[in-house]
Amino acid sequence: MDLRKEDSLDALMARLAEGDRSVFSAVFKQLWPPIERLSMSLLKNQADAADAAQQALTKILERAADYDHSRPALPWAFAIAAWECRTLRRKLLRRREVSDEGTAEPSGENVQEELVQRELVQAALSALGELSANDRDALVATFWDESATVSGATLRKRRERALTRLREAWRRLYGLG
Amino acid sequence: MDSVDLTKIERRVRLRYEWARLRRALLGFAPVLVIAAIAVALARHPSVTAGLGLGAFLFGVILLWYGRDVRRAVLPGVAAGLVPLVLSLCATHLHHCTGDGCMMVCVPACAVGGLLAGIAVAVIASHRRAMLTFLVPASGLALLTGAMGCACVGYSGVVGLAVGYAVGLLPVLVRRVARRGG
Repeated sequence: MDLRKEDSLDALMARLAEGDRSVFSAVFKQLWPPIERLSMSLLKNQADAADAAQQALTKILERAADYDHSRPALPWAFAIAAWECRTLRRKLLRRREVSDEGTAEPSGENVQEELVQRELVQAALSALGELSANDRDALVATFWDESATVSGATLRKRRERALTRLREAWRRLYGLG
Repeated sequence: MDSVDLTKIERRVRLRYEWARLRRALLGFAPVLVIAAIAVALARHPSVTAGLGLGAFLFGVILLWYGRDVRRAVLPGVAAGLVPLVLSLCATHLHHCTGDGCMMVCVPACAVGGLLAGIAVAVIASHRRAMLTFLVPASGLALLTGAMGCACVGYSGVVGLAVGYAVGLLPVLVRRVARRGG
């Protein structure tokens, strides 16, 4: 979003806060793409991102009357959207935990192996949680073979640094090299 | 995300936006219900006062919900209407309002209150650019609020209030018309 567009979004948002309904559609159309992109980058899932973007936009426009005219509209909207994404992610996480608890315990000859696998995944996720968002993004993108925002040498360096920090976190947490 | 029906989402979000505005308007104008309740408790004809109070409340809520310029008329309108309301309620209670005595005190109190309210609204309106979008809603609210007290003597009290208000407002209107003509 360039500076001019952001300026006009501020003006439109101020008008909407005052009750000028004629700008509603314009505000909606300007906010939807960046909010959707933010949701996608935070949730990494198209369906969840669409849900979060809808929820976020509803909250943003419900609170339009609270918008402070002296501040830029986009960061204000992003803050609300980020909070919505966080709430949705937690909800999804809880639901997954519950469904995991609900699934049958591993049975048969692979019981031991499955339990070890599950513990390893948990341990890896904990170590991953110790890293910065950038490092996490670089590793997740590598794992899923996603195209990152950077490529070539920069991506390689970023990945190497992230892996080094993951190893350090692993060592710190579990005392293993 | 091509599968997302943006028109449908926009419609849903718009509805939520309107509900949020209405909720804010109801909450924001709730203090007027307290004023109306006090007026009803002190009134000689509680049902008429309650009706006028409800009318003032609904009118104010609509103005706040709609927003834009008319929203700015709400506070001055209610504040101006409080003058005839308080004057008429005081007149009713300090002077035992019975028969002719009521006409001699309450009706003039309403007229004086209306005059003061009209002057106040006129002064504020003359400082604003959007005069009509201020004058009409502010006058409506001031008259409805004041009428809660002036209804104590029936129609004559309300007429006294309206006449006093019109007289208070007249100089500004005349000046406005003269400026347009010149």
